[in-house]
Amino acid sequence: MIGYAMRRLVGLVGVWFIAIVLTFVAVQFVPGDPIMALLSDRSGDPVLEARLRADYGLDRPLPVQFLDYLGNIANGSFGLSFRYAGTPVIEVIAGGLLITPMLALLAITLAVGLGVLLGIVAAVRQNTWADTAVILGLVTGVSIPNFALSAFLVWFLSIKAGLLPVAGWGRPEQLVLPLIVLVVPPTAYIARLTRTYMLEVLNQDYIRTARAKGLRERLVIWRHALRNTLVPLLTTVGIIFGGLLSGTFVVETIFNIPGLGRLAIESIFARDYPVTMTIVLLFTVFYSLINLAVDLAYAALDPRIRLTGGAG
Amino acid sequence: MMLKTMRTLFGTSALVAGLALAGAAVAAELRTNIPADPGMIDPITYSELVAGDVLGNVYEGFIGLDADGNVVPALATSWEAHDDNLGFTFHLREGVKFHSGRDFTAADVKYTFEQLLIPGNRGGLNASYLDPIVGAQAVKDGTTETLEGVTVVDDHTLDVRFTTPDVLFPIYPFYFMDSGIVEEHGPEWFNSVSAGTGPFRFEAWDRGQEVRLSAHEDYWGGAPEIDGVRFIIVPTGDTAVSMYEAGELDLVYAADTAIRRILVDDQFEGQRITAPAAQVQYIGMNSNLYEPFKDPRVREAVCLSFDRQAMIEGLYDGAAFPLYGQITPGVAGYNPDFPAIPYNPERARELMAEAGYPGGEGLPPVKMQTTEPNRNLHLYLASQFQEILGMPVEVEIVERGGHIRAMNAGEVPFFHWGWSAGYPDALYFLSQMWYGPSPYNRGRWQNDEYDALIEQAQQTPDEQERYKLYHAAENVLMGEFGTCGTTMRMQVAVKKPNVEGVALTPFRFLPFADVTIAE
Repeated sequence: MIGYAMRRLVGLVGVWFIAIVLTFVAVQFVPGDPIMALLSDRSGDPVLEARLRADYGLDRPLPVQFLDYLGNIANGSFGLSFRYAGTPVIEVIAGGLLITPMLALLAITLAVGLGVLLGIVAAVRQNTWADTAVILGLVTGVSIPNFALSAFLVWFLSIKAGLLPVAGWGRPEQLVLPLIVLVVPPTAYIARLTRTYMLEVLNQDYIRTARAKGLRERLVIWRHALRNTLVPLLTTVGIIFGGLLSGTFVVETIFNIPGLGRLAIESIFARDYPVTMTIVLLFTVFYSLINLAVDLAYAALDPRIRLTGGAG
Repeated sequence: MMLKTMRTLFGTSALVAGLALAGAAVAAELRTNIPADPGMIDPITYSELVAGDVLGNVYEGFIGLDADGNVVPALATSWEAHDDNLGFTFHLREGVKFHSGRDFTAADVKYTFEQLLIPGNRGGLNASYLDPIVGAQAVKDGTTETLEGVTVVDDHTLDVRFTTPDVLFPIYPFYFMDSGIVEEHGPEWFNSVSAGTGPFRFEAWDRGQEVRLSAHEDYWGGAPEIDGVRFIIVPTGDTAVSMYEAGELDLVYAADTAIRRILVDDQFEGQRITAPAAQVQYIGMNSNLYEPFKDPRVREAVCLSFDRQAMIEGLYDGAAFPLYGQITPGVAGYNPDFPAIPYNPERARELMAEAGYPGGEGLPPVKMQTTEPNRNLHLYLASQFQEILGMPVEVEIVERGGHIRAMNAGEVPFFHWGWSAGYPDALYFLSQMWYGPSPYNRGRWQNDEYDALIEQAQQTPDEQERYKLYHAAENVLMGEFGTCGTTMRMQVAVKKPNVEGVALTPFRFLPFADVTIAE
């Protein structure tokens, strides 16, 4: 098991290096010159232009710039921000560094809990009103775009009813609306999968055996059926987490949460490439770590995977 | 690293929670929005709008503005031009206290100028105003840190000498800083203390969340009535308006889609504040790149072929005003009698025929280049020119930085763009946009009579005399349709009924010194 984890971790370092190369290359292809964007109206000032180019090391050959980039990642500064002149990127993003993963982890925990519960209810009461209600809710949940749901919730719960703050960060009540918006789509997705897997499992022979030997229905569902439903479900959690991370871009912007998602949007509009690059890298790291955790959990549940070392 | 960030995160949360509790006791804080973190918080590297919104409340210069945008004395009470026009003697206000409690003196002004010029300091926007001072180049080159052309005569008298005349020097928007602060608090002083004389002192900046200012009790203009200002960082205009509706903001400066929402929704009746922006929007016609633009009749025809009222309603949701000349109202030297340019397609067609292009016959194709946010505007203009003049106009969308560089380099034949005033005098527009040697003469229109008038104005300290020269120059430019104004952006804000004393000028909000908040 430990050997397997180590092998995967080494693989991750490779993924991260590829991400570093890709972000660097991508920025070279972005149309326009960052220094011209920075100078804006003052692009007639050659002295200032030369000074800025030297400050940011953009006057050096590309391979040297790439080494600078690696060095800045290694020393933890991630280079200098364009918009916040002279400020290391790490200082710009420090405040948001934990907000986004925290939000996403909280959301995925809630989504898995709620989604599994709803899925089981629907599966066990297949073709009853409860099943129909859950399915209806799921379709709605998957179909409403997050920005529309946000706008509706803000208008209804914050402006009209005055129950919750419109936006902001730092107080628990400011967490409610963003979490609802983040949690609804993955919950619906997980519930749908749970219902399908559960129905499949409930038709298996060993369930019939369990029932035949007189086990109570509750035990059959929660001990025998659920476990085998969770295994395939687990693999999808990684994918869902990716969706959640991109959901934070919208949610953080609408609810004015100073996390990495909002910062990413701001830095893109401000053409603050070093900040954008760093956030892309960090999101790659979060995403790959979650997938590693999922794979490890999967391996723990299913010995076949850790023995062959495959899957992934 | 991780641990430090954890602490920062929880520290910030605790602080915000603490503030929320304290909020009950300090009722009179003005809560308003800024669209992003300020780019910087110190008066030396200062170089962008959001930072200006904050720093304008903390720092002051020789002059300030009144609610109508007129120049009024601030830290200088009066000044005289030297007889040879190569300098000024400033009389500084007495009894002015810095936030540190120290007295403001002429030495602080000299210190500020030097700090702006010293190369390692990355002097920002305000450094460029110091170029004409004797010895400025030497400080910039790093050979000395003493600015030769500035003499401290006594605590409240300052003498400034120039290499070339610069009559506008007194109205440049400087931010004078406390010369004792760096010695006391080190080079990173601006993160922790406040070094201005303005009505508010800098308290704290929580990156991504807010910048807080508190009242300067010893302010020379009288202590502000409110306890402080909270600039809450809200990147989305719509979110800011929602926060305002829910009572989380007292004053909102609207951006993007929020402008329309404020203008159309009746609930904001009586809470709206509007003012034109000090920005000229104009048509650039570069005759070096498009032969027909050499004929003033063609340029006039272009200027008669678009409907400003239709643009205001259709493109700006009503948030704009028509503009004809090249000076906006609220900027000193504006000519209120400047005649309107009508929308007149018939006359435009006649002019094209007179110029030898009846119905557009014989016109070579031309490209209007612009950026994505201006796409619709250019599509409208291009379709008008095509339909009325028969001009084969194509619109090309490019990236912003490259577009501005190309315009500055005189490489764009036909465009619509804007130029925002950096200080409240029309010479800013006239000398930068259309003066021959200016690096920002993007249309490359050139006229010796115009250039001579501008040079004369630059040496005329008497304001009324100078304004006459502006009007003459504007008439030369507009007389041969070197360009034409199109529209001015309307700034839109909303304030709660219990908030008084907010003034929106063509240069954004005045400092919030006179704001009151009723219970």
